[in-house]
Amino acid sequence: MNQMKPNSMLSINNLTVDVEGKTILHGLNLEVGKGEVHAIMGPNGSGKSTLSHTLSGRDGYHVTAGEALLDGEDLLSLETEERAHRGVFLAMQYPVELPGVNNMTFMRESLNAVRRARGDEELDAVAFIKLVRAKAAEVKLDPKLLKRDVNSGFSGGEKKRNEILQMALLEPRLAILDETDSGLDIDALRIVADGINALRSPDRSIILITHYQRLLDYIEPDFVHVLSEGRIVRSGDKQLALKLEEQGYGWITGEAAA
Amino acid sequence: MITLEKQHSWFERQLAAGSAQSLQSTPQWLKLVREDAIAAATQLPVHNRQHEAWRYTSIEGLLRTSFAGDEQAHQQNQAAVDDLLPQSLDSYRIVLVNGQFNTQLSTCGDLPPGVKLESLRTALATDSDLLATWFGNIANHSESIFSALNTALINDGFFIHIDQDIELQRPIEVIYLHLSEDQQFMMHPRNLVVLQPGAKATLVERFVGAAESSYFHNNLTEISLQQNAVLKHYRLQDESRDAWHLSSIYVDQQSHSDYQGVTLAFGGAWARTEYHLDFDHEHATCGLSGLYTVGDKQLTDFHLTVKHRVADCRSREQFKGILYGEGRAVFDGHILVDKDAQRSDAQLSNDNLMLTRNAEVDTKPQLEIYADDVKCSHGTTIGRLDPQQLFYMRSRGIDEATARNMLCQGFAAEIIDQIDLQPLREHATERLVDSLNRNSQPEAGR
Repeated sequence: MNQMKPNSMLSINNLTVDVEGKTILHGLNLEVGKGEVHAIMGPNGSGKSTLSHTLSGRDGYHVTAGEALLDGEDLLSLETEERAHRGVFLAMQYPVELPGVNNMTFMRESLNAVRRARGDEELDAVAFIKLVRAKAAEVKLDPKLLKRDVNSGFSGGEKKRNEILQMALLEPRLAILDETDSGLDIDALRIVADGINALRSPDRSIILITHYQRLLDYIEPDFVHVLSEGRIVRSGDKQLALKLEEQGYGWITGEAAA
Repeated sequence: MITLEKQHSWFERQLAAGSAQSLQSTPQWLKLVREDAIAAATQLPVHNRQHEAWRYTSIEGLLRTSFAGDEQAHQQNQAAVDDLLPQSLDSYRIVLVNGQFNTQLSTCGDLPPGVKLESLRTALATDSDLLATWFGNIANHSESIFSALNTALINDGFFIHIDQDIELQRPIEVIYLHLSEDQQFMMHPRNLVVLQPGAKATLVERFVGAAESSYFHNNLTEISLQQNAVLKHYRLQDESRDAWHLSSIYVDQQSHSDYQGVTLAFGGAWARTEYHLDFDHEHATCGLSGLYTVGDKQLTDFHLTVKHRVADCRSREQFKGILYGEGRAVFDGHILVDKDAQRSDAQLSNDNLMLTRNAEVDTKPQLEIYADDVKCSHGTTIGRLDPQQLFYMRSRGIDEATARNMLCQGFAAEIIDQIDLQPLREHATERLVDSLNRNSQPEAGR
């Protein structure tokens, strides 16, 4: 078992997860310190999304062994919403559309739920509108989208920006960005990356889950990990990502299998 | 089991119980209409599972109950009545307490010229000839034993008549308040709405029952829209959870008229709404929509019959239901397009959100088309809340019960948003939330 680092935010030890009776994560270990940005890369089917869904408490992901501690607290025994209250945020690969649910109402409900849990006062409608408008401008989200139903009919880029806006509002301690770059063209990617970079802070840790090195040109990670068959098989700095870009995953996953 | 004999004897008993309170001195034309209805009732087939209109909606409970007339029922104490009265709109208002027109609570004195809004009793006394022109021409008294009973036992109701080209700025609001203590009583409000050519109005009907009051409310409304007339008709059914409720709405539309009906049904133990609409004149349009929530010991039924008999008319029907507990809903939407009704444009949909396994909906959208140049579609869905949506919301810190309610409200919004009176829309949303909260209590932590 890993020794928890003194500046630890998230400490994952021997995490083993089954999905539909099949083991996807095989004893995964990961230490994420405060303020660090970790990139987790890996081929399709290596368990990247399983990791993000397990950390956020999605149904159907059965933890059979191991633990994940957030600030020393057992994260995996908490309900999904409680994890959000503790400061876990998952930006989804495919943000869900909520027809009939107004975007502004949704975000206010969300922010106030988190504020209540933290013992902060709820924001009234006026204060909230002011805040959300300012944050929307920062992530270059068309303010008209605030009045629409959540993600309904949004373009791929708009959905991702809407995720980053929620992240900016909720000010999480641990943000997990699941394939945030997927489906984005270069311009949209730059805007989203700028939004994420603006949220980097010594108190906030970020896990970037990505298939491609491309995102890391815009968001420079402190650490890069390669996930293969449910384990982290190699860790390094951003040079590792560049090498993966050149040589693919074969040399690592082959090595791991050997 | 329902037999013809049981049905007849129930009808006769209610007729006997109600006739003492029904109108005594009536004009000759009304006497004839009533006699006709009574005669027709005896010819009706039994309303059981073999009868298509009653296939999924059993009237057994009704036939087991003998209702009293409303003699005592309207002698309620004023405080209880005031307590039940919902926050009124800025409107011309008629209040019927247990089916009886209540002068004190009604505010229909200060009407613009050319607009009549009065109780049916008053109209019979003062506008009998005008009433006779329209009354009974639109409805079918022998649709069921209930339309026959309504006609036979007419007691009160309302009459609206708006002259040509008058556009009423404030809505007309009709509030039905129902309170009973130990007696199960019945009332049969009879309503008539006539909009002369080019007239425009908004009518709001609100049905409110005191908790645990048991009664049978059986209204019948005839609506005639002359050329280019426009009526928006909002109905909020919020009866006691121990009540039987039947609304039968008959609409007759002249060319280029527009009828928009929205019914929200939250209450009642057994509640049925029937819309009967015939297009006999070209270029008329109608929109019927509805929202229902049903839980334990509730059955809510919508029956729509829209007949495109002539060319170039447009109809839209959109109904949505939220079912929980052991709630039961019935939807039967029938659109007929006759062979001469070319270029008819009709759309019908019914979507149901099932929050529990034990809820049941019987839905039957039907298009019957004999013309060859038409644009028609129908569809029905039955689904549950999407776990991905719930997860998404919870991952943003929103607890499960709140997330479920927000999604249900989102589902319902499409119907509620069709109400363009803000205070009524807000009230409807509150009632929806109440109804959802009632549901989420036992479901929480599931």
